Amino acid sequence: MNLRRVWAVAHKEWREIVRDRVYFLLAFILPPVLMLVFGYGVTQEVENVPFALIDEDRSALSRDYAHHYISSRYFDYRGQLTALRDADRLLADGRIVVVLVIPARFGEELTAGRRVVIQTLIDGTFTARGRTVLGYVQSINAAAAGDLQARAVMRRLGIGPAQAEVLLQPVRVEVRYLYNQELKSIWGVAPAMIMFILILTAPLLAALSVVREKETGAIYNVYASTISRAEYLAGKLAPSVLISFLNGMVLWLLAIWYFDAPFKGSLAFFLPATFVYVVCTSALGLLVSAVARTQQAALMISVILAVVIALSFSGMITPVSSLTGASHLLAQLLPAMYYHDLVLGAFLKGVGWRVLGWEVVVLAGFAALMLWATWALFRKRTRQ
Amino acid sequence: MSSVRAEHMIGARRWLRQLGVLTVKELRQLWRDRALFIYIVYIFTGQILISGGEMISELHHAQLLVRDGDRSAAARELIYRFREPYFQRIGEAGSPAAALRALDTGRATVVLEIPPGFGATLNEAREPAVVQLLVDTSKANLGYLASSYAMRIGAEFGGERAAARLSERGIDPGTLPAIENRARMWHNPELAEAWFSTISDLLSMMTVACLLLPAAALVREKERGTIEQLLVSPLAPFQIMFAKVLSMTLVTLLGTAVSLFVIMQPLFAVPARGSLVLLFALTALYAFTVAGLGLAVATFARNIAQVGLLVFLLVMPIIMLSGTHTPFESMPGWLQNLMSVSPLRYFIEIVYGILLRGAGLRVLWDSVLAMAAIGAALFALGLWRFRRQFG
Repeated sequence: MNLRRVWAVAHKEWREIVRDRVYFLLAFILPPVLMLVFGYGVTQEVENVPFALIDEDRSALSRDYAHHYISSRYFDYRGQLTALRDADRLLADGRIVVVLVIPARFGEELTAGRRVVIQTLIDGTFTARGRTVLGYVQSINAAAAGDLQARAVMRRLGIGPAQAEVLLQPVRVEVRYLYNQELKSIWGVAPAMIMFILILTAPLLAALSVVREKETGAIYNVYASTISRAEYLAGKLAPSVLISFLNGMVLWLLAIWYFDAPFKGSLAFFLPATFVYVVCTSALGLLVSAVARTQQAALMISVILAVVIALSFSGMITPVSSLTGASHLLAQLLPAMYYHDLVLGAFLKGVGWRVLGWEVVVLAGFAALMLWATWALFRKRTRQ
Repeated sequence: MSSVRAEHMIGARRWLRQLGVLTVKELRQLWRDRALFIYIVYIFTGQILISGGEMISELHHAQLLVRDGDRSAAARELIYRFREPYFQRIGEAGSPAAALRALDTGRATVVLEIPPGFGATLNEAREPAVVQLLVDTSKANLGYLASSYAMRIGAEFGGERAAARLSERGIDPGTLPAIENRARMWHNPELAEAWFSTISDLLSMMTVACLLLPAAALVREKERGTIEQLLVSPLAPFQIMFAKVLSMTLVTLLGTAVSLFVIMQPLFAVPARGSLVLLFALTALYAFTVAGLGLAVATFARNIAQVGLLVFLLVMPIIMLSGTHTPFESMPGWLQNLMSVSPLRYFIEIVYGILLRGAGLRVLWDSVLAMAAIGAALFALGLWRFRRQFG
């Protein structure tokens, strides 16, 4: 490989990018803008769930019970309904997600020490939200019912509240949250966004830079020149890696300064790891450019590829341990998952080379493999 | 009178024929670009297939490390309850340091610590028997799920012990007031993930394709100068733009039909409780709306690379924040307001409404109206910019 030729291609490429003002600006504006929007918007917490009540009992006990739900910060109380038919309509509309139905004689039965069955209707359309809401409902119900039982036991055995509680619930699970004690969503989201945003832009930059020349015919200059395939590809890779790496730094600064995410690790680990990741995602773009002949195709393939990898196979939205079968395997074969672990490790856990060195090696391996594949697929002679 | 009318008829017919020819030209261009064509087929088939099997929003195989300092029968029984499919026991930690290391490396997500004397405290029933759970919350949702399942397991285990203890003290647990909350899941009683994920993926793919392809097609004509040829031909700017939208709408309708009838219904039993005619009509409206946005974008871009970045700037927030990947109610108010101009926000309600909730126009009319208004505005904006650039 002749470094001077690589430099020439890279330099020319860089010039081209800088001259296209709009493109140049967009390449640097896009990542921080997405970071800001997603930093506020992307959350896994389910809150303010629209909630309605049908109280057919209207006793002190039923009001007391319903209050447990109404006062919860997870639910957004939208008022009482009178008939199940209304609940039907509002659930079909998606305007209400949870309806609690308290039957008649609820208070009476409970006072008599009997078991009461009540119903909660939950919209299961968005499965993840439905499951979370189910969890909320169960735990609120358990707390409310536990209170009632404790009062009954206190009365009948003549004991204090603490004792009644031990009697009814002898096991206590004390949870200690490590790395993110207050379960602040943004602490996890901001670092994950570095992974997410860098896989969006880098492949696009790299893929288009080659295919543009294919489409305009400028690539015939390359075919006819003495430059080798490897030199040409390396020259094309360099500017995209540089831009994406700079963007990575900007995103890192935004995460720690603007979103106050803790960075417990060392830059001596994070910087090289990010560099390898950026090479890896840019190489993915080059690989796309080897397959696509038009910019339209290159654009479409790299955009959708990035969206799919980032959304489904990175572990950001669905943990990789929750994936099954082919998807689980696929996640292991794509780079996003490794960098997701890396970036969270460097931010929240403060671990470095010793613990996550292997992930960096895997990423480097991916990059090498993809670059090799691009090199093998790239022809200096058009096929007949 | 009648001759004027006949002339109008001929004019209209020619106008339609021109539009048809242009649309066929667009479709041919797609078909000829093999890489692109194969990819479009993939996003409506293979991608939907993968998404149907990919996701479990329940806790699944959370890696659990145990440190049993008690070794009583009660401790063993409690540990035994942390089982598949929620937890996967990966062994015992020798020391607290080893447990922390396992969490650091990500080998374990949860560590369950049972202190010495747990069994004895439980038997005496004078104070609560405490176990500790260390949870890795660097991935916040996973950590939250793991802790809530663990607490539920602890509560169940404790509840059974409590029943025995109460009987000893002369209280029949059956005579205590109890509330059983029978939750019923509407629209998806078994909470089949594939019903949600295949639809959500289809909507995402459709949005990217409808936004990107017409925009790229228009900019390509601009870049190559072929747009000039079209403009000097007897075609109206509206026809040139509309043909691109029309071809993409056709592709989207066909793709939706394929993924619905070939993948989603036969393989994942996704129901269609509402009217399919309505679904396809509104899909066409959505494709039209998003394609209008694509064309508007294309008028701001000078080359395909710019289109790519602009599309990302729009499409990622639209996909991520319209309500399938993030619970909409949890977002801050200003962002909810901002996202009310996203057509996907309404289309999500429409598609899930028709397929899963069996909703009709009577329920969905406000979403339809909002989407149509956005579509008309975007298309008008695109056309106005286009006319100004090339008029």
